[in-house]
Amino acid sequence: MTRQERTAWIFAGPVLAVIALVFVLPTAMALSLSVTDYSIYALADWSNLSFVGLGNFAALFGDPLFWRALGNTVLFAVLGVPMAVGTSLGAALLLNDRAMRWKPVWRVALFAPYVTSVVATAVVWRFLFNERYGLLNRALGAIGLPAVDWLGDPATSVPAILLFVTWKIFGYNMIVFTAALSAVPGDLMEAARLDGAGPWRRFRHVTLPAIGPVLILAAVMSVAGFLQLFAEPYVMTLGGPAQSTTTVLYFMFEEGFKWWNLGLASAVALVLFFLILAVTLVQARIGRRYEWL
Amino acid sequence: MGPPTRRAVVAGVAALAAGAPLAGCARARDGGDVDGSLRFWAMGYEGDYSPILMPAFTRATGVRVEVQSLPWTAAHEKLLTAHAGGALPDVMMLPNGWVGEFAMIGALAPPADPALFASMFPGVADTVAYAGRPHAVPWSVAPQMQFYRRDLLAMADHDEPPGDWDAWRAAGLKLKRRRPDDYYVLLYLNWWDGLFSFAGQAGARLLRDRDTHGNFRSPEFARALEFYKSLFDLGLAPRAMSTQIEDPVAAFARGMFAIYPRGPSLLVDLLDLLNLRGPARRIARDRWSVARLPGPDGPGATTGVSGALAVSAASRRADDAWALVRHLTSVPSELRFQPLIGNLPARADAWPAMRLEPDLLRPFAEQLADPAPSPNIPEWERIRTEVTLSAERVVRGLMTLKEGLADMDRRADAVLARRRALVDAGKIA
Repeated sequence: MTRQERTAWIFAGPVLAVIALVFVLPTAMALSLSVTDYSIYALADWSNLSFVGLGNFAALFGDPLFWRALGNTVLFAVLGVPMAVGTSLGAALLLNDRAMRWKPVWRVALFAPYVTSVVATAVVWRFLFNERYGLLNRALGAIGLPAVDWLGDPATSVPAILLFVTWKIFGYNMIVFTAALSAVPGDLMEAARLDGAGPWRRFRHVTLPAIGPVLILAAVMSVAGFLQLFAEPYVMTLGGPAQSTTTVLYFMFEEGFKWWNLGLASAVALVLFFLILAVTLVQARIGRRYEWL
Repeated sequence: MGPPTRRAVVAGVAALAAGAPLAGCARARDGGDVDGSLRFWAMGYEGDYSPILMPAFTRATGVRVEVQSLPWTAAHEKLLTAHAGGALPDVMMLPNGWVGEFAMIGALAPPADPALFASMFPGVADTVAYAGRPHAVPWSVAPQMQFYRRDLLAMADHDEPPGDWDAWRAAGLKLKRRRPDDYYVLLYLNWWDGLFSFAGQAGARLLRDRDTHGNFRSPEFARALEFYKSLFDLGLAPRAMSTQIEDPVAAFARGMFAIYPRGPSLLVDLLDLLNLRGPARRIARDRWSVARLPGPDGPGATTGVSGALAVSAASRRADDAWALVRHLTSVPSELRFQPLIGNLPARADAWPAMRLEPDLLRPFAEQLADPAPSPNIPEWERIRTEVTLSAERVVRGLMTLKEGLADMDRRADAVLARRRALVDAGKIA
């Protein structure tokens, strides 16, 4: 080993050790737990623990609630990612506009929800969504629309939670996008304008390619975030009504920590891990194809 | 604001490195009691208000007690996780339905002193038994009752809610005609209490074959579910979950519903024992009262969540822990606690001295004389939850009654699969 290599190992060593300790080891333990039938009976007596091979995965794929949770999670991600990233981009474009005044004030106001506590804001939004007295239904009533039982109807519970999540998180990507937008070359924009490009074509052919990599990054992070949605349904609906907001992570939490079926819960964790990995790989490939990454 | 600055990261890592070993030592030294005090966990009002009972204990024994209040919704997982992590407190409150489960995993030390059970209500000690032996000391009893608005029931020409299902429901329909925008009764779709109370009244046996199979397709349970569903179909109960009604007592005061099935802890709110609401927001005493829940042919046996106190098997200070249990379940403590949080003592000899109107106390005493048995197995909490989820789907019309009952048995059998295998192998009783 050369001196240079040794130095490199000394620098990388601590980080690698930490990664091994807090990432590789727990993952390996979860993997080994997922092939056992660890349940509350194993907690009582280790002799009740046995190796079940892929039995947990078979049980999982045969459980209608798991599929429902998976479906709910996909629904959250498919609707939520465009909603959240779109809102962020829209807000960032508005903030970036030259006609906009009081920019720092707007930035702070729109970013503020991101740094508040999920639980506290979820409780406040529960009041907003209240069927009888909620602000949202008051507003609907003012324009003559019927009241909606936002969190009590399986058909509207997902949109209601998405509304809250979008409000809560769009500020972060908005800040990232404003930073990216400020790097869009002004002379290019000027040239496009002189060539007669309208606002849409300027956005499509000048702005979008410039912020492409950031957009992909935001999408990857948002997908990973939405696939791990937990706190919002936990606080607002406890997974209901009729389990319409039970996500994969919520399902895993209930199986693992509420009912102590850690074997099955570890199997869920692995499925979720591969799901996020697969989606991220697909997104990265799309990004590369358009030469954004 | 972007990612955290390098200085912040370095400071954070340094703080972690410095703090983690300290925290580790403190936990390892004496089961977590850093300053030498006894640790006690309790849920709900009991958790919030039991510090008031502690000065007397500390004066008498010199032992300080650190009380931690757990929210009911997270208590079960918190206690289980604490047991797995070896961090259970010396003394904990458990609802009677969980005692069997925690006894099975070896978390509880069975009480040795029979004097702790002197003058308990009949049947209460059985609800905390595991393998033929009590594993906790009953602290309070909380039978499910119905609190009702007298003024609203008077609109349906009743002084009190009728005792049998048909008349009770008919009274609701009458009221609904007078007040179409409001409801008759509040039954949360995600709480098992209402449905299982009706099932108890109907005399349903919920599990069969030594508690290894669900028995929800029995005619008794089907009858209870049918009655339960009809209350929603007729618009007598809102299709609501507990997360949707922010302040049910305020809603009760506004007359959103005339009947509120709950345990005795509601007395605190209705009598405003803690003076949290102030006179303007109270319901006048002559406008509400309490009665036993209706049964198919008049009030019958119901289950209730009773609070019990258990000592951790891992506690290193068992003597102090039992002294605390003895203190908390003593007559003076019960009498001090009752007006604070409305819970009813599990020991009958504390009842005569209670300063509560006899009119309010009588229905509770009658109900206590008529307890419904409930399975005491580790899976019971989960089965109840799963059955409630199926019932919600039936109420929302996503399943027919028959499909719902079959679904309940299917879910119960799935939950019981592990237990079935162990019972068949002769490993557990």
